[in-house]
Amino acid sequence: MPDTVAGRRRRAAFFLALPSLVMFIGIGFVPLALVAIWSLWSFDPDTYWIKPVWSLASYAALLKSGRADVLLQTAGLAALTATASTLLAVPAAAVIGLLSGRRPATLLLALFTIPFFTSGLVRAFAWRLVLGREGIINNVLIRLGLVDTPVEWLLFSDFAVVIGLVAAHLPLAIVPIVLAFARIESSVIRASQDLGAGFWTMFSSIVLPLIMPGVIAGFLFVFVVAIGTSMEIQLLGGASASSITIMINDVLRVVNFPLAFAIATVVTILLIVAIIVADRTLDLSRLFEDRGV
Amino acid sequence: MSPHPIFGRSTNGGRPLFSIITVLCLMIMYAPALYLLLASLNPDEQLGLVAPTRYSLTWYVALLDDHRLFMALEESAVVGLATAALATPVGLAAALAYRAMTRMRSIFLLVNLFTMLVPGTIEGLGLSAVLKFVHLSPSWITVTLGHLLWTLPFVTIVSLIGLLAVKPSTLAAARDLGAGPIRAFVDVTLPLMRGSLVSSFVFAFLLSLNEYARAYYLVGRQNTLPLYMFGAMNSGASPTIYAFSGAVLIASFVAVAMIFFRAARRKSDPSGISLALPKRTEQSKPREIISAP
Repeated sequence: MPDTVAGRRRRAAFFLALPSLVMFIGIGFVPLALVAIWSLWSFDPDTYWIKPVWSLASYAALLKSGRADVLLQTAGLAALTATASTLLAVPAAAVIGLLSGRRPATLLLALFTIPFFTSGLVRAFAWRLVLGREGIINNVLIRLGLVDTPVEWLLFSDFAVVIGLVAAHLPLAIVPIVLAFARIESSVIRASQDLGAGFWTMFSSIVLPLIMPGVIAGFLFVFVVAIGTSMEIQLLGGASASSITIMINDVLRVVNFPLAFAIATVVTILLIVAIIVADRTLDLSRLFEDRGV
Repeated sequence: MSPHPIFGRSTNGGRPLFSIITVLCLMIMYAPALYLLLASLNPDEQLGLVAPTRYSLTWYVALLDDHRLFMALEESAVVGLATAALATPVGLAAALAYRAMTRMRSIFLLVNLFTMLVPGTIEGLGLSAVLKFVHLSPSWITVTLGHLLWTLPFVTIVSLIGLLAVKPSTLAAARDLGAGPIRAFVDVTLPLMRGSLVSSFVFAFLLSLNEYARAYYLVGRQNTLPLYMFGAMNSGASPTIYAFSGAVLIASFVAVAMIFFRAARRKSDPSGISLALPKRTEQSKPREIISAP
């Protein structure tokens, strides 16, 4: 490589990228690839592990005993969570990115981001106190005379799971949309106002199309992360509620490694397809581009 | 602060509607946790709120005798510190590499963000299977590997946003004045990024401290804090559970809040949060000129 400025820059970039690439490939991609390969091996009853005998038995088992249903159920739950989160996140992000001065906007964004770094386990658990038979909601409903006996479906139900998931994943939806708001040129908004557009016209025909990449990124983030959920379902869901994660744990309890690997492989491949499609259509890296000089 | 173009204009009900939704979002994110905190101050065996005059730290004092809790806390602290100490420099290097790259930028970013989107159970399962294959027995080291995978994408994002504070023109000026690349990094980039590096460290520590799904597969004999807590939450509700939930919540919350508000005070180097927001200076004046008759 000739010792030009560009060459030196390329070499610096290479060495700076190396540690993270080694880590992501070594402990991220290699295990996932091995899991995909091992999902085609067979269970070894002698060692309770796997042996290199190629077989598609795990993928056949994946279609049996309602396992495909659990996949679909989890996808449905994740889609519902992502839809609800995005619908709530757009107005919240608009308040931050459009309707507030800089100080309140910073405060609001901090308030929305902080819970993400606190214990998800504790926050899911806290919903039990709120939604339970003797929880605050039932207490208020009974005291107001709206119901005579505690409402049972509040806790240990799909309702509880979705509300717990939305509360946990809102930051993932809000942050990309706020970033999208930050990229809107204010002159565009000013122009629409000078041309006499009211708030809703401006919002629907100028702002919404411009923030769409952020909205889709937010939806996708929540969807993808909610696919891997287990805590909210285990703490707030009904007795029969399941998810991909819980299914994998159950399969491993009977040490059926190839089947667990098969489930993991199918889910990972579907996620990779979703992420690549989204990246192609949205160019997600633009959200972190340096603006200005 | 000069106002945004929307400021002080009629929004045809947009502002109140959006504000109500924002408050609703904040309520579902904060109310359950707040309720849990207040309930943990109730000295009685039975759950619920009591008058503020009866608040007591009984259950928090009882925590001090919980030997197993402290063992789990110690394990989590070791893992968290190791994770943060490794993730922070690697994430910074990745962000600098991204900045220096001319080609393959979006692929590099995608590789860096990908593991954030793979369900923790699948990553934990894959990593534990590989470690089993190479006969590395589970310990705090294996959990740290799993947590690196989980925290590194976030740390990279924080560093990328923090790097927006380092303008290419500032670096070019340093280089023009004769500073080599390393001198420019030490004298210009590092001081400008001090805040975001502190944020990276704290975020990585907290994300690790509260991580459950990967640790479930990777722990050795000693449970981490979330695993111990999950067990306690599902095995009958002793009021001490509320106390240590409350303690974990308060500790995480105070740590992140300090980062955010320290950043907000020092305008030059926010943790990235306020840099992500639109710049709203130079906007009102042109408007007055345009609308002048």
